[in-house]
Amino acid sequence: MLAHVARFYHPTTVEEACSLLAAKDHKNVALAGGTHLAVVEDSGIEGLVDLKGLKLTHQRRENGRITIGAMNPVEDLKTSTLLSGPGGNLLRLSAAAIGSTPLRHAITVGGNLVAAFPWSDLPPALLALDTEVVLRRGKEERVLPIGKLYETRPTDVIKADELVTEIRVSEFATSTGTAFQKVARTKNDYALITVAVRLTLKDGLISEARVALNGLTRRPCRITSVETFLTGKKCDKDIFREAAKKAGDGIELTSDFRASREYREEVLPVYIRRCLEEAAANVSK
Amino acid sequence: MKLNITLNGAKKSLEIAPNAYLLDVLRDLAGMKSVKRGCGEGTCGACAVLIDGRLRNSCITFAAHCEGATVLTVEGIGSHEHPHILQKAFVNHGATQCGYCNPGSLLAAKALLDRNPDPTMDQVKEALDGNLCRCTGYVKRIDAVLDAAKEMKSSREEKR
Amino acid sequence: MEKPAAIPEYPRTYPKPDKFDVVNHSREKLDGMGLVTGTRKFVADFDLPNMIHVKMLGSPHAHARIISIDTEEAMKMPGVVGIYTSKDVPRVAHTTAGQGYPEPSPYDTFMLDTKVRFIGDRVAIVAAETPEAAIAACRKIKVQYEVLPAVFSIEQAMAEGAPVIHDESDCSVPIPIHFDPKRNHCAHMETKVGDVEKGYKEADVVLEKTYHSHYAQHCPIEPHTCACYLDEDDRVVLISSTQVPFHARRITAQVLQIPIKRIRVIKPRIGGGFGTKQEVLLEDVCAFVTMKTRRPCRWELTRAEEFMSARTRHPMSVTIKMGVKKNGKITAMSMKVLSNTGAYGSHALTVMSNCGSKVLPLYKCENVEFIGDTYYTNLPVAGAYRGYGATQAAFGAEAHMDELASAIKMDALKFRAMNHIKVGETSPIFQALGEGRAGVSMVIQSCGLAECIEIGRKEIGWNEKRGKPGTGIKRRGIGMCMLMQGSSIPEIDMGSVFIKMNEDGSFNMLLGATDLGTGSDTILAQIAAETLGCDHSDMLVYSSDTDFTPFDTGAYASSTTYLSGGAVINAATKVREQILAVASMMLGEKPEQLTIENKTILGKNKKNKITFSQICKYAMYEVNQFQIGAIGSHVTHASPPPFSAHFAEVEVDIETGELKVIKYVAAVDCGTAINPQLADGQTQGGLLNGIGYATTEEYHFDKSGRMLNPSFKHYKIFGANDIPEIKTFLVPTYEPTGPYGAKSVSEICINGALPAIGNAIKDAVGVRICEGPFTAERILKAIREAGKIGKD
Ligand SMILES: Cc1cc2nc3c(=O)[nH]c(=O)nc-3n(C[C@H](O)[C@H](O)[C@H](O)COP(=O)(O)OP(=O)(O)OC[C@H]3O[C@@H](n4cnc5c(N)ncnc54)[C@H](O)[C@@H]3O)c2cc1C
Ligand code: FES
Ligand code: FES
Repeated sequence: MLAHVARFYHPTTVEEACSLLAAKDHKNVALAGGTHLAVVEDSGIEGLVDLKGLKLTHQRRENGRITIGAMNPVEDLKTSTLLSGPGGNLLRLSAAAIGSTPLRHAITVGGNLVAAFPWSDLPPALLALDTEVVLRRGKEERVLPIGKLYETRPTDVIKADELVTEIRVSEFATSTGTAFQKVARTKNDYALITVAVRLTLKDGLISEARVALNGLTRRPCRITSVETFLTGKKCDKDIFREAAKKAGDGIELTSDFRASREYREEVLPVYIRRCLEEAAANVSK
Repeated sequence: MKLNITLNGAKKSLEIAPNAYLLDVLRDLAGMKSVKRGCGEGTCGACAVLIDGRLRNSCITFAAHCEGATVLTVEGIGSHEHPHILQKAFVNHGATQCGYCNPGSLLAAKALLDRNPDPTMDQVKEALDGNLCRCTGYVKRIDAVLDAAKEMKSSREEKR
Repeated sequence: MEKPAAIPEYPRTYPKPDKFDVVNHSREKLDGMGLVTGTRKFVADFDLPNMIHVKMLGSPHAHARIISIDTEEAMKMPGVVGIYTSKDVPRVAHTTAGQGYPEPSPYDTFMLDTKVRFIGDRVAIVAAETPEAAIAACRKIKVQYEVLPAVFSIEQAMAEGAPVIHDESDCSVPIPIHFDPKRNHCAHMETKVGDVEKGYKEADVVLEKTYHSHYAQHCPIEPHTCACYLDEDDRVVLISSTQVPFHARRITAQVLQIPIKRIRVIKPRIGGGFGTKQEVLLEDVCAFVTMKTRRPCRWELTRAEEFMSARTRHPMSVTIKMGVKKNGKITAMSMKVLSNTGAYGSHALTVMSNCGSKVLPLYKCENVEFIGDTYYTNLPVAGAYRGYGATQAAFGAEAHMDELASAIKMDALKFRAMNHIKVGETSPIFQALGEGRAGVSMVIQSCGLAECIEIGRKEIGWNEKRGKPGTGIKRRGIGMCMLMQGSSIPEIDMGSVFIKMNEDGSFNMLLGATDLGTGSDTILAQIAAETLGCDHSDMLVYSSDTDFTPFDTGAYASSTTYLSGGAVINAATKVREQILAVASMMLGEKPEQLTIENKTILGKNKKNKITFSQICKYAMYEVNQFQIGAIGSHVTHASPPPFSAHFAEVEVDIETGELKVIKYVAAVDCGTAINPQLADGQTQGGLLNGIGYATTEEYHFDKSGRMLNPSFKHYKIFGANDIPEIKTFLVPTYEPTGPYGAKSVSEICINGALPAIGNAIKDAVGVRICEGPFTAERILKAIREAGKIGKD
């Protein structure tokens, strides 16, 4: 409940929205799908700045790059016919894993990556794809690698009057395979483990490996130990098995009523291995 | 503040609070009692309505966010006198037990058939995944939607 | 003394007609169109002018004494109309269990008390202009608690010197049953037939195991909701989502110490109940607030409150011991039940005794023993939940049947087929275990189990697939179980109905029975129409309203079709006699010579004809006028069990423990299915609820006894996209004691998933999991512990 919201704005440009967010006299907050803002208790918020009118719902494909507006409902990624290649597929799969149909129609790409929770399904996919996040503060624009946002909390990086306007990813049209796995009790449950994997090959060897997680860590993250191990190696079942064993290295796994830390520790390598095998099996020619 | 929406085909101008939820506005101000509250936190779909053709849970949608939008509730898709094919199919197939979840489920089904007139069983299941029903076990509901799709298809073909 | 003529004698059996015109056909649900168009009203859909909203301040402690409550600041909050604490309300010990009077549940609950016994227990009532204002005021109430040591398990509750949860001097039981609150011992029941020890000595194999079933919630999509207003005569009118309007009226009157005649309870459409609305949880408070403020009010539970402070399934440990000979004969069985009723003893005795009475008679055995004990804990309050103890006990019993079968190396289906009860047989348990008193002995007159088994065997592919899990990472398994339930509480429950005729040949049927979404209005209309000779759409059904509809104990104990359906036949038969009497006068033929076909009376040679409409007009306006109409009641003398066989096919991932239910088959014998489509719908809905209970649904608590997951975000019930392939079959039998051969159908179907899926897991990976739900983590742990399948 946002008990003290007394203003609701419908800006039509990014500049207008940012200047509303910059207001000094009262606290305004950007509203995207509202699925988080509608359920939080925050009596500090006094105004909502609806991003709906900004028309950030574009999806474009140019020269092997995919550009997606922050206000795309994730359902529109799931059903997009434009997203293609291993990169596009991974985005589609991760969007499809989110919540339920009415939620996917509300939840936006921007909202999902900014309000990143352990159960957020897009962030690991975005991490695996080396996504670039485009931020605007009025006319001022900056582009950050997605990983930057999750070093601490996204809100530590994104300024109060700054907006995510779009994300950019590569299609990885050739020599790449991706895989995504959300582990949950039912289809619209929160994840207890999410794994996103990308393997990009060069001359038959893995030149870039990305293994990103959520659900069992405090925030979305990559497991660099596994990635480093894989780099320069062949796609091979035994190597994947070996790599997966390093899954727990350097990351702190969480425990909650969905599953204990011990269980997560035990099965994480299994899911990682399977994702690696799947990614290797669908490497694009 | 004022909220201007097209509700079930009619233009409405309602006086709302800036932090009001669409669910309360529809039920208390617009009299659309078909929109039910089952959880108030976006998890059950009893409150689902179509906003510009998209299925959304009205309990976690700010009413003001719908400024200028077209909103459809079950009152707007059919009546006793002129029921929608889906409504008839729900009744004929026994897809309604207590009925509390029906309005939301019907709108989910309608949104699906509007986009995809010829869905597979898996697509129907997925389209209904946000509308919890504790009574029916979904089986008859899925059949009802598939059957309605068939009937709509044949009535379209007849028209041609 | 001879029975005076005014005291009705109820039929023990009903004649079987040659054919059915209305009954046994899938007729359209009468309220269907109103539900799908959104015009049928639920409690929250009634706009009452000038209405205020109620919220309850819930206890943050599992066990504490309230030292003081300071409401001063809260009262000053905008929109607050009133705040009430235990000082302001009458102190009347009662039970919230909506059972017949006198209830077999202890009077251990007070509208508001100076002690709280679980997290979420009532502390103070707030009435305000909006729900938000009421919530805000709740937060400003300052309560000083003396926190007491709490009890979170049956073991702790039983321990010597355990904290006493009900230490108040004024709690008691209204009927002579065991009740020892000083030891947290809420209920006890035991019975013995034959010589169990001798039976075990005769056995070749004796096995004993304990099975644990867990907390769960009914999760009706409509949460408990109640509204109240004062009518023109200053009477208190409650509109409530209740399964038991008459018990709600009686208990509300008791709690508020006002005459029953001052209260009217209206039950509109109900968004599901499954037992949790067989409980008087909101009515007393709403009536109190309206009487105090003289304004209409409404109280709607939030989903979190529904989980934490409405009712739950009793968690239990069920220990089963059975002796069996190598040839498959069962020589002795013992069932020991330890049940946790939470902080209050709602249905504490009867759910526990039902474990025995609805499970033990399924298999023939001369030496049987049942011991049940229910304990208080400082956890959420249990109550009636579809299955009512049979769910918990069937898990143990049916898992155990598989264990025994494999111990004597017999096929599990064959073992069950040779032992289950059959037509013409009886069980001593029927007589031995009743609801708070002795039961009623009965001989089985209909049983379709053999056919249920055959259907299931084929549909699941038992012969081909059982015992062949494969060798891959994903192992398949097949499991099954057999079930029985009852139909009504014999010689205790009563249902009644009033039917009157209108000039167009239609009838008003006023039902005390409570349709809470099951479709009972429709099937009772079908029964009436069959008897009267009209269509079910000619019946204008109204249920229920304590002012206008005659008494019915309510929608519970699998009674509506069997018991209230009997009342419908009894009433409709009288109306039919009146119709024939008038027709005979009009046609000048003897009533015995007349027949009824589709609202038309035909004379002896089918030449003379007269319509219902003409008859009613004649009786209303012409000669010897009277209102054609009658009231009918019914009390049953048996509780014939419906029977069912459930089959599950599962896949278990041996590296992660993940379980997937691939296919689920249920064949059920409910006698004549009055409305096959609705009966099938009950089966499908119930079995999916059961599958959820077996696989995903559970309560998680922290150390202080607080439920950690009171939300559909975290307590996972199945959605449309989670369901396995579901196949259901109705196996027709004819139950002579039931209306048109019917038995109950809706409870039995929830009991099968835990045992059938558990047995399928055993078939797939060779481990017996004795505790639900079957989460991936639990399964993997069991696989590891058994050391059956190697680690990665
Ligand atoms: C019942 C339920 C189940 C869910 N299940 C899942 C699930 O399975 N998987 C999953 O991934 N998610 C799930 N979610 C969604 C997730 O929890 C968040 O609510 C969602 O991602 C937020 O997105 P939104 O567009 O609704 O953002 P909002 O609620 O509108 O905003 C969230 C925050 O992000 C900020 N913000 C939004 N957009 C921008 C932008 N463009 N630039 C800068 N700041 C911005 C807002 O100011 C706000 O602080 C679920 C939500 C609910 C209610
Ligand atoms: S009431 Fe809106 S999703 Fe449950
Ligand atoms: S019909 Fe009752 S919840 Fe769906």
